[in-house]
Amino acid sequence: MSDPVLDRLAVRFEELLPAGAVITDPVRLRTYECDGLTHHRAMPGIVVLPETAEQVAAAVRLCGEYGVPFVARGSGTGLSGGALPRTDGVLIVTSRMRRILEIDLPNRRAVVEPGVTNLAITEAVREQGYYYAPDPSSQQVCSIGGNVAENAGGAHCLKYGFTVNHILGLEIVTPDGEIVELSALDPGYDLLGAFVGSEGTLGIATKITVRLSRTPEAVTTLLAAFGSIEGGGEAVSAIIAAGIVPAAIEMMDALAVEAAEAAVGCAYPEGAGAVLIVELDGPRAEVEHQFAAVERICRETGAFEIRVAASAEERAAIWKGRKSAFAAVGRISPAYIVQDGVVPRTALPEVLAGIDRLQEEYGIRVANVFHAGDGNLHPLVLFDDAAPGEGERAATVSGRILDLCIEHGGSITGEHGVGVDKSRYMPKMFTEEDLDTMQLVRCAFDPRSLSNPGKVFPTPRLCGEVPGVRKGVHPLVESGRAEQF
Amino acid sequence: MNAATGPGAALAAAGVTIRPAGPDDAVAGVAPRWVALPETTREIAAVMRVSAAHDLAVVVAGAGTTLHWGRPPERCDVLIDTCCLNEILEHEAGDLVVRVQAGVPVETLTEALAAKGQELALDPPLAGGTVGGLLAAGLAGPRAFRYGTARDLLIGITVVLADGTIAKAGGKVVKNVAGYDLGKLFTGSYGTLGVIADATFRLHPLPAARACVVWSGPTLDEILAAVPAVTASQAEPSAVELDRPAPDGPRAVAVLVEGAAAAERARAVRDLLGGEARIADEPPRWWGRLPEPGFVEPGGPSGGGGVLLEIRTVPSRLPGLFAGALARTDAAVRGSLASAVLRVALPAETDPAAAAAFVSALRAELADEGRVVVLSAPEPVARRVDLWGHVGGLALMRRIKDRFDPDRRMSPGRFVGGI
Amino acid sequence: MDPELIKDCVHCGFCLPTCPTYVLWGEEMDSPRGRIHLMSQHVEGTPVTPEMAGHFDACLGCMACVTACPSGVRYDRLIEQTRAVVEREHVRAPEERAIRELVFALFPYRRRLRALRLPMRLATRLRPLLERVHPSLGAMAELVPPPARPVRLPPRVHAVGRRRATVGMLVGCVQSQFFPQVNAATARVLALEGCDVVIPPRQGCCGALSLHSGRDARRFAKATIETFERAGVEAVVVNVAGCGSSMKEYAEVLKDEPGGWAERAAALRVRDLAEYLVELGPVAPRHPLPVTVAYHDACHLAHAQGVRSQPRELLRAIPGLELREIAESAVCCGSAGTYNLFQPGPARELGDRKARHVLATRADVLVSANPGCSMQIAAAMRRSGEGEMRVAHTAEVLDASLRGLGARALGGR
Ligand SMILES: Cc1cc2nc3c(=O)[nH]c(=O)nc-3n(C[C@H](O)[C@H](O)[C@H](O)COP(=O)(O)OP(=O)(O)OC[C@H]3O[C@@H](n4cnc5c(N)ncnc54)[C@H](O)[C@@H]3O)c2cc1C
Ligand code: SF4
Ligand code: SF4
Repeated sequence: MSDPVLDRLAVRFEELLPAGAVITDPVRLRTYECDGLTHHRAMPGIVVLPETAEQVAAAVRLCGEYGVPFVARGSGTGLSGGALPRTDGVLIVTSRMRRILEIDLPNRRAVVEPGVTNLAITEAVREQGYYYAPDPSSQQVCSIGGNVAENAGGAHCLKYGFTVNHILGLEIVTPDGEIVELSALDPGYDLLGAFVGSEGTLGIATKITVRLSRTPEAVTTLLAAFGSIEGGGEAVSAIIAAGIVPAAIEMMDALAVEAAEAAVGCAYPEGAGAVLIVELDGPRAEVEHQFAAVERICRETGAFEIRVAASAEERAAIWKGRKSAFAAVGRISPAYIVQDGVVPRTALPEVLAGIDRLQEEYGIRVANVFHAGDGNLHPLVLFDDAAPGEGERAATVSGRILDLCIEHGGSITGEHGVGVDKSRYMPKMFTEEDLDTMQLVRCAFDPRSLSNPGKVFPTPRLCGEVPGVRKGVHPLVESGRAEQF
Repeated sequence: MNAATGPGAALAAAGVTIRPAGPDDAVAGVAPRWVALPETTREIAAVMRVSAAHDLAVVVAGAGTTLHWGRPPERCDVLIDTCCLNEILEHEAGDLVVRVQAGVPVETLTEALAAKGQELALDPPLAGGTVGGLLAAGLAGPRAFRYGTARDLLIGITVVLADGTIAKAGGKVVKNVAGYDLGKLFTGSYGTLGVIADATFRLHPLPAARACVVWSGPTLDEILAAVPAVTASQAEPSAVELDRPAPDGPRAVAVLVEGAAAAERARAVRDLLGGEARIADEPPRWWGRLPEPGFVEPGGPSGGGGVLLEIRTVPSRLPGLFAGALARTDAAVRGSLASAVLRVALPAETDPAAAAAFVSALRAELADEGRVVVLSAPEPVARRVDLWGHVGGLALMRRIKDRFDPDRRMSPGRFVGGI
Repeated sequence: MDPELIKDCVHCGFCLPTCPTYVLWGEEMDSPRGRIHLMSQHVEGTPVTPEMAGHFDACLGCMACVTACPSGVRYDRLIEQTRAVVEREHVRAPEERAIRELVFALFPYRRRLRALRLPMRLATRLRPLLERVHPSLGAMAELVPPPARPVRLPPRVHAVGRRRATVGMLVGCVQSQFFPQVNAATARVLALEGCDVVIPPRQGCCGALSLHSGRDARRFAKATIETFERAGVEAVVVNVAGCGSSMKEYAEVLKDEPGGWAERAAALRVRDLAEYLVELGPVAPRHPLPVTVAYHDACHLAHAQGVRSQPRELLRAIPGLELREIAESAVCCGSAGTYNLFQPGPARELGDRKARHVLATRADVLVSANPGCSMQIAAAMRRSGEGEMRVAHTAEVLDASLRGLGARALGGR
């Protein structure tokens, strides 16, 4: 290491943290150079692996003392480069904070450390008939801290909401190193809501209280094969119009099905232009009722084959292809970009047609996987990194897909976050005033911009003087009706 | 100050309808000087710019149903009345999304959505409010157990800041993680961060059917013993509400079941509750209203005059609470046993010291596992209690307020910690 | 280290939660994704540093990551290539070298192992001392099960009833010395299911130990192929997970050998016992066996060979038997071939972790298909003082049921 500030900081970390929790060896450091988005890389200055909130707070305070930026990292599965380290900074990794601290079924909640994986929570309560509802496809590995930071979603969020709807409390270490408890019970500003989805720019979550949900009485999963994406899309609209909110409605196009087939042999119907997965859950009587309607709708909109999972194994088999789709694309293409955009559901057909045109225009293949129920597209833009120019063209296509989403009143990200990858699209979606206003929140939490700087917002902004120097003593304090905290 | 260059003239020149305030416009006893009636977001911004230039304090009012909640503002020069911001801007039924201006009455919105077979699954406990007021006060009703509260259903927002900046966050798609969620910060902020101009919500289809299981007359012990099985049941009730008008009066619990096969699921709930419970098509009349002390018969004006509290806790604390502090007073209690949010009203004539002691007793009883917020109280009571109780992260909240409203002109003093 | 194989990794991290070293230490460099990253660093020109070698050595080769990977990354190939590079390029500390030599000189040879049995028993008493000299020696001593009565198997066991197949059987170096009764049970089960079982008397080591440690296994592989070719069998049935997995790799190991070795290897139909029995289908009647069984997935079976459902299916088909799942079933118990000898610290921690999960099932018998695993977990359970559990091989459970011996027949040593 050549940076003298980091050298000194490393020595201080060594004094503070348990043995083996400070990494400075370059070969080791480099293994942390990227998250799930591998084309952004930076070797961290130092990596620390704290085991307690106090250690995190102490590490953050030290960073503050030396004016060194820090970046939080959970399992490093983020797809927007949110956990991209800083060469001049410290990477604070929560992978050793993975205890489930409390399970409180009567109050339907669990308290966990940030490094606990999403799935581990469900596994801990499954036998008692509960689960943790948000289910990102990466649930077996992504950390709950990372979920909080990204406000992660999943297939079942259509009915049950996203991470933010399932977080009851947080203990956070603020960018100035204080430990603060935030509870959904608290009156005052919804700091909990502001922190969830802030991508590590407002501090580090060190303890998380999640809501546990009751396992539904019945689950029915149906797979319908359509000749074309349009047919599938029509079915989705008709299901929604019928007043049904399924637990999940997922769609894959022919190319995505091909990849999944190659990877996990999911055996989806042959010749399908689109495969629709609809899952209904809830009270048995309700599910049965809705299932009949969904099946009818699928037939009416032209499904040529419908399969219904009769057992947990068959359900898993149906989901397997969908859940492995991202990584599976590696089997049919040397390289690919996972895109994440959202459009109003009614704009889906137009946007998909637009993506088709882009494929032709640039000679780039795009496999489509999407959460059709909420208009969240995951186009997988395929390219050969060995073919000159293809990477650039793929990047262009990927960017133009986002333009399409914005044009249709959608969003540049539905669940993967802005991170470093999409910050440049933020000005397309938001005005300068919008971004400046968001920045006010940032400045309130982190006036020195040390917590994951360079993410989310396109241009670093200075927070300036802390404003609002009070004009004299607060009148309530003066009159003895309130105390200054 | 010269009338031609003073704030009044500047306001008049802003191109917004302004009228001088009258005595009826007072906010918790604090009289504004002007009332502004903007019709667009730009007009709000114009008012805010003038206010900024002339250091005018601003309070926003919808229908005024909760304007007396919280502390009275320290000062109030301009009252922004949102009554003319009354348009439903977009409702794309196929997307289950609606965008509305802040001044739209909740009832109006409900009717418009129902015409398309949809609803905003919030049931505000006060009749006559506006969408903006509902958001700013962060009100929720019985079905929060299933659908969450306003912050959970809000997906986009446009606000005007103290300096007239127009900013939006979120959007009109349900799934969206681009940028900070300002909507959450503004929800329940009591107008202290800025003016909510319009809001976009996710909608739900109107349930295909509904049924309500009502059990009148059991003891509280019986209710509290039966309810956990109901909330945990796979019949998926949307709400479980208690009505206890007085510690020794009649009491009832009602469980709402919505969706396909509601009748069948309601029977399952009834079986869990026991033989006395009956299945009705609609919830009882007290459903979703604020508690009314002294009224055994429901239907009177809500929360008027007396002390109104909100208790937020966890289900396991409810039995202790009812056996403890709640057993000893003439408090009327209504609220959700499922999400453990109760509203408690004390009669207007309650002795202020006794009311303050009651609040303290509740807080002591709940300790870390709950919060007791005094939503509204007559001045002699308000003087004696900390309206908000413990607020985690207050220092951060102050810093946010300092950034959004450095001159403290937005409803100053109304909110937690004197924000 | 083949850059093409490295490139298949998309860095998704799906392999992290079942990687035993990641489970233990929670750091990237000791996860499959991190190790693959280290490999790519090496390919890009970084020399094998001691740190790097340490992270490769710490890999148990359990192949849980291969099972977990949706991108089909061949970590098994990658780590074998890597170990070879490490062996070549990395100079180990002298005492570490000595231990490695000792193990490789002993374990692949049945006769040497036999000779060792008595001294090893002695060593149990000397364990504290050995531990101080080198933790690996302590680990060796701790693992040794009590001596087994030698079982002499005939060169051919005839099918009971109509003959449905003729199969060869590998007896395994460690298995035949420490768990000969498992081999006997295997032969009986196969015979009862209608197989003629050929047991070539002079079979050597299959090469598993070498293969999994980056050493040259070709000699062992060729000898084994020749042995079973001579036996004239339709399939070679293996009851040791580790041996089975390496024999299934022979074609790969010998792909550059002249003399058609790869084809000869491919022609050898190597099957795990459970895999084979399910393929064959049951004919022998199952007698009730009222026991509760916790089934442990041996890595070399579950991950390296993908045999997970078959043993469970066979066990569930036994009347009266209740099968319980062990939490974190995909995570290695720490035995992993020579791992507990070279990396005694982490092996022990993993063993303890596994023992806790196994004991939590409150089963009567722990069943697995690898003697290494059974030794490891049994030792950990003994150490924990929380309770012990009888251990048995899948073959022994089937044998007890087929022969109607009753539950007590299990786990007797
Ligand atoms: C194959 C695959 C499928 C995926 N599917 C989905 C999906 O369906 N839905 C979805 O939403 N996402 C999905 N993702 C993306 C990713 O898994 C999620 O964003 C996840 O929430 C990231 O968790 P992590 O622990 O890996 O966080 P990391 O990648 O380590 O970090 C992500 C961000 O969170 C911050 N962070 C991490 N921990 C903390 C903490 N304790 N406090 C504050 N900030 C913190 C980091 O600084 C960074 O900005 C997928 C990823 C992959 C590889
Ligand atoms: S083989 Fe086992 S120990 Fe090695 S990297 Fe894979 S999972 Fe980890
Ligand atoms: S699961 Fe496969 S692709 Fe994903 S990180 Fe591990 S080895 Fe790489």
